[in-house]
Amino acid sequence: MDKPLLSLTDVNKYFDDSHILKDISLDIHDGEFLTLLGPSGCGKTTMLRCIAGLESINSGDILLNGSSIKDLPPNKRNVNTVFQNYALFPHLNIYDNVAYGPRIKKSMNEADLKVRINEILELVQMTGYEERMTHQLSGGQRQRIAIARALINEPDILLLDEPLGALDLKLRRYMQTELASLQKQTKTTFVYVTHDQEEALNMSDRIVVLNKGVIQQVGSPREVYNNPSNLFVADFIGDRNIKKVKVIEKNGDYVRVMLKDNIIDIKCSTNATTKDCSDDYAILAIHTDKMSISCSEKPNSLMGTIISVHYSGSQIRSQVDLGGEKVAVIEYRSNDCDYKKGDKVYITWEESGAILLPMEEGFKERSGGYEEV
Amino acid sequence: MKKFKQNAPAIPILVWFGILVGIPLIFVVILSFLSRDELGNIVVRFTLDNYKRIFDPIYIKVFINSLFLATLTSFITMIIGYPVAYFTANLEKKKKALAILLIMLPFWISSLLRTYGWIILLGNTGLVNNLLIGFNIIDKPLSMMYKFSTILTGTAYMLIPFMIIAIYNSVDKLDRSLLEASYDLGAGKWKTFFKITLPLTIPGIAGGFTLVFIPSLGLFFISDLLGGGKNIFLGNLINSLITKGRNKPLAAAFSVGMIIMVLIVLFIYSRLVKRNTGGADENSII
Repeated sequence: MDKPLLSLTDVNKYFDDSHILKDISLDIHDGEFLTLLGPSGCGKTTMLRCIAGLESINSGDILLNGSSIKDLPPNKRNVNTVFQNYALFPHLNIYDNVAYGPRIKKSMNEADLKVRINEILELVQMTGYEERMTHQLSGGQRQRIAIARALINEPDILLLDEPLGALDLKLRRYMQTELASLQKQTKTTFVYVTHDQEEALNMSDRIVVLNKGVIQQVGSPREVYNNPSNLFVADFIGDRNIKKVKVIEKNGDYVRVMLKDNIIDIKCSTNATTKDCSDDYAILAIHTDKMSISCSEKPNSLMGTIISVHYSGSQIRSQVDLGGEKVAVIEYRSNDCDYKKGDKVYITWEESGAILLPMEEGFKERSGGYEEV
Repeated sequence: MKKFKQNAPAIPILVWFGILVGIPLIFVVILSFLSRDELGNIVVRFTLDNYKRIFDPIYIKVFINSLFLATLTSFITMIIGYPVAYFTANLEKKKKALAILLIMLPFWISSLLRTYGWIILLGNTGLVNNLLIGFNIIDKPLSMMYKFSTILTGTAYMLIPFMIIAIYNSVDKLDRSLLEASYDLGAGKWKTFFKITLPLTIPGIAGGFTLVFIPSLGLFFISDLLGGGKNIFLGNLINSLITKGRNKPLAAAFSVGMIIMVLIVLFIYSRLVKRNTGGADENSII
């Protein structure tokens, strides 16, 4: 792989006594759309601010194009930020807001600047708004201007701090597509911070999952979704049934485990060795939407009893009792049988939907779905 | 009707102001068109003489004096007050509360007493002269009292908390992410200050300006005590016309003149605030 554009090595950051970033090491490559994903308080925004220079780091180093930028103030780093609340200057109109960076750096004369601003406003589809003041724009429009104001500086990296957080769901979905295509068009490296897994899976080339200041997993959306490296990622991304299982024996790539009275053969997570999964107990994680329910027995199916069924338009959410273990199943199409509460059914799942993870301390069982019955 | 309902809670305040401010004000305006007899009693006879007398060159000079003092006071308090307000707003929470307390502390003591304090400091046998002579820095006491600059010092001292608090409020509510955005876009600390902080705090400066300018037009005891009555300002003039000159109608006419000056200042202020915030500032004082 070619040389990274930005690389963080053993970055640590403290706020007073709390350790916000713990030995963060990460390479970001030119032209990629990288997402920092994690729950609130995991340090993702702090990490972004450290790259921008708005926060200093306590130890470690940050290299941009091979040279250290950790001691440079934000105005000397060739990265630009799209802030969570957009931070557009209220006393300047749209044109002057977008012109702010180039004018400060005196990087072009006013005539060239005008051409450039026209181009960039066209890119974010905001032509004709030059004279407006910021408070006359809607949330989505402010968003576009904030992106234009940052992109006009042709930064090496564009940092985006939960930029879609304030928008409503429909606009958010639309802007996701927009942002992804904008990134491809401009070939700018995007580092995007979000707590929303859908956003992350939808737009990113690579996802960095963070929790409590530690990188949990780095990988493509498919990797982190299908092959979580640990319990946190398995639980945070996607909707899974997570169960403690007793390990019976190792069988090549497969591990034979017991979930209550049911015996299951399953592959260990590719990010852990089979040996890691071979203690007395392991964790079974199955995507709720990769399971299906049928009324007749199928190979490798587990028998259970329907506890509850919820229809919600496009999906059917059911809870099934597997001999004492409660699991949630989400199905998107109607089934071969019309099961209802109390029915005996058979559960199967796609092989890729289930993985085995090494046992972790403080583990708590949970079934997926959005509600406990 | 809907508008009436929305504004209904304001009615008691409007009545209050109407009685305590509006009615006396109307009396002053009426009084300014009346005459007086030789004994100084008010005679109900309509006249414009009072307004004609205002334009006497001697009185015009008083107006100019007052305007000059008020403008200068506003500028001085602004130049000293801005840095104080700026640093106060950037302090951490506990220190900030303490700083605000210290700024407001002088209000706990009568302003008359504080003005006497300046005499004790600056007089020929005052603290400053005594110290300077005591350390053999000067032989003869410096004459620091009864000058225009003494009055200016006293007035600026008296009114600077208003300026500091007004600017403090606008710096304090300034969105820090705007400053971060400015750094992020390549501006250093000074450029950010002049391009972002200063323009966005102009409403605060204008507010402070108004809060200092208006009372400094009317303060009379400071110039009486520190100026020795040598410089006549509008406040002194109105005061002496009522107490010594027994000419209330003329005093009323001067008061109306002063009110008009104040209204002009308020008008300029409101325009300034509107222009700087595009009419979106909810914290303007008028």
